[in-house]
Amino acid sequence: MVLVLAIGDLHVPYRAPDLPAKFKSMLVPGKIQHIICTGNLCIKEVHDYLKNLCPSLHITRGEYDEDAQYPETKTLTIGQFKLGLCHGHQVVPWGDLDSLAMLQRQLDVDILVTGHTHQFKAYKHEAGVVINPGSATGAYSSITYDVNPSFVLMDIDGLRVVVYVYELIDGEVKVDKIDFKKTGTATSHSAH
Amino acid sequence: MFNSTSGNNKKRVPDWLNSSLWSSSPPPPPASPSPKSSPNDVVADRGVKSTPVTSAKSSVQEAEESKYEPPAPAPPKVAVTAPPAVVVRAEAPKVEAQDPLGSQGRYYSSKEDGARSNVDAVADTASEASAAVKVSSPVSAARPASSAAEDISRQAQLLQELSRKVINMGELRRLASQGIPDGAGIRATVWKLLLGYLPCDRSLWSSELAKKRSQYEHFKEELLMNPSEITRRLEKSSLKNDELDGEDKGFLSRSEITHDEHPLSLGKTSIWNQFFQDTEVIEQIDRDVNRTHPDMNFFSGDSSFAKSNQDSLRNILIVFAKLNPGIRYVQGMNEILAPLFYIFRSDPNEENAVSAEADTFFCFVELLSGFRDHFCQQLDNSVVGIRSTITRLSLLLKEHDEELWRHLEMTTKVNPQFYAFRWITLLLTQEFNFADSLFIWDTLLSDPEGPQETLLRVCCAMLIIIRRRLLAGDFTANLKLLQHYPPTNISHLLYVANKLRTHPAG
Repeated sequence: MVLVLAIGDLHVPYRAPDLPAKFKSMLVPGKIQHIICTGNLCIKEVHDYLKNLCPSLHITRGEYDEDAQYPETKTLTIGQFKLGLCHGHQVVPWGDLDSLAMLQRQLDVDILVTGHTHQFKAYKHEAGVVINPGSATGAYSSITYDVNPSFVLMDIDGLRVVVYVYELIDGEVKVDKIDFKKTGTATSHSAH
Repeated sequence: MFNSTSGNNKKRVPDWLNSSLWSSSPPPPPASPSPKSSPNDVVADRGVKSTPVTSAKSSVQEAEESKYEPPAPAPPKVAVTAPPAVVVRAEAPKVEAQDPLGSQGRYYSSKEDGARSNVDAVADTASEASAAVKVSSPVSAARPASSAAEDISRQAQLLQELSRKVINMGELRRLASQGIPDGAGIRATVWKLLLGYLPCDRSLWSSELAKKRSQYEHFKEELLMNPSEITRRLEKSSLKNDELDGEDKGFLSRSEITHDEHPLSLGKTSIWNQFFQDTEVIEQIDRDVNRTHPDMNFFSGDSSFAKSNQDSLRNILIVFAKLNPGIRYVQGMNEILAPLFYIFRSDPNEENAVSAEADTFFCFVELLSGFRDHFCQQLDNSVVGIRSTITRLSLLLKEHDEELWRHLEMTTKVNPQFYAFRWITLLLTQEFNFADSLFIWDTLLSDPEGPQETLLRVCCAMLIIIRRRLLAGDFTANLKLLQHYPPTNISHLLYVANKLRTHPAG
């Protein structure tokens, strides 16, 4: 049972002052084992905050990040799953699922986590699953102003992943869940 | 009244208690063929260790603690030499002679008991002691010459008692309180009976055991699952399990969750929240289990046996903590658990050894039930809390040995909480080596007065035995002595403890 937080596009302080209070009250240290961050934090204070939340922090570079040292892409293995991380502004057209699928095949991962569009998405194709955690602060994106704050928490348990989607809609936290299993080399999806 | 050649007839301590025999001096070495006929010889032997068997006391005057090595849990062998330890003057047997323990005595220091009954010596002078006590053969004719034989006989009696259809608990208690011999591997069964885990009626054993063991498995299954597994199980029951492989591409469908059941939930009823709150307790349990008895291969080390034992300890403590949210886990519970698990796991009966974890859990609960209040911090100052128990110990000491009490608490200001806290909460497991603490537990568990009362008497006896050193010491010396209790002759200690009963034994 490994809890992995996927979060990104906070754009603090330029487009948003901070995480919503309701999100902050839920994100306490000690529960999460890994954090994968798509990028665009943008400042060091946010990095420190995330590091405090969980010492195992993986970040890729977004175009507005002040720290130029973050890598463009990153892959890691958690349990039975290979995860890939990339901010997403490099993949054009932005948010295009086929292009992202190309990146996924390139990185050879089961789950690809990207951001940049500030819209939550969870999409499946033959090569694997693409997850976009959206923007945790609800900052406006290059495409739209209409953004709900959101992030994703994955519970990786053996060959199964339960994805909990946290969204702030009209001031209330709404949590949904998505379930999928990995069978053999390809991920398969079980509906419920 | 005693033939008191003793000059010290002060009211402070009864003479029988004041005798040199109580000072835990080392028994004479078995190799020496000549019976110690004079205390002077014995004095010279003070520093020598001896085998457990020929243990009887030498009438050493000094209340010096012996370098006596408690026997390992292997049955003591036959006495090396015939010459026994203490002779008793065949005088009018005193009240102590009727001591109920005396007739059979501890199997590894049997003769002392009889000897004590006629002790007159004052601890002070060798000459007086020599007049009073001589070392020689056992007192009563009834007593066998070698304590090993006695041990075997007690073992036989225990086995006989255990083989009855309905076990006579009173008789079992009586036999067990003298010490359970290690040879027959019966300690596990005896303890289970004493703790009420096994009923007296043998025919009910298998059904009781099966019931309890399955109950424990059920507890484990219920309580030791992590939230991921729980949600998966709940889902399995509600959703169809087939893989919908129809779509190879597409947006993954979302489903709502019920009752706030997500990992970051802060709801009181959320299984996730409870899980994370329990994590702290589990970490504490983990830490303590890893450092239980690091010197014993059974508990510590890299062997898979040790690891599986540690896992068992951990499981028991976690299940206990979850079933008892009021008290959860407190440091020290692992120490009380350890001897129980060790004995049950080492049961020669394979079937029992395999189910040791379940059996230990219930016996642990039973044993702890009398002492639970000691672990609850809120109850510290209450009538049932640890402070009150320590006060009772203090009063017990005052009743039996006022001089010592005064010296300790008034003069040197050694607050009993400094030493008695650990003695009482951990049931003396930390004060003696493992083998000795098993013998002490034999007495604690079998005494009809109950473990709480017996424990206090044993603690009081521990103080009285080293009274000489305590009286001579200041705060620092006494505290050091009491916090690192010197090795002592266990049977002697238990004999003295027995003497402290409120209703006289004789």
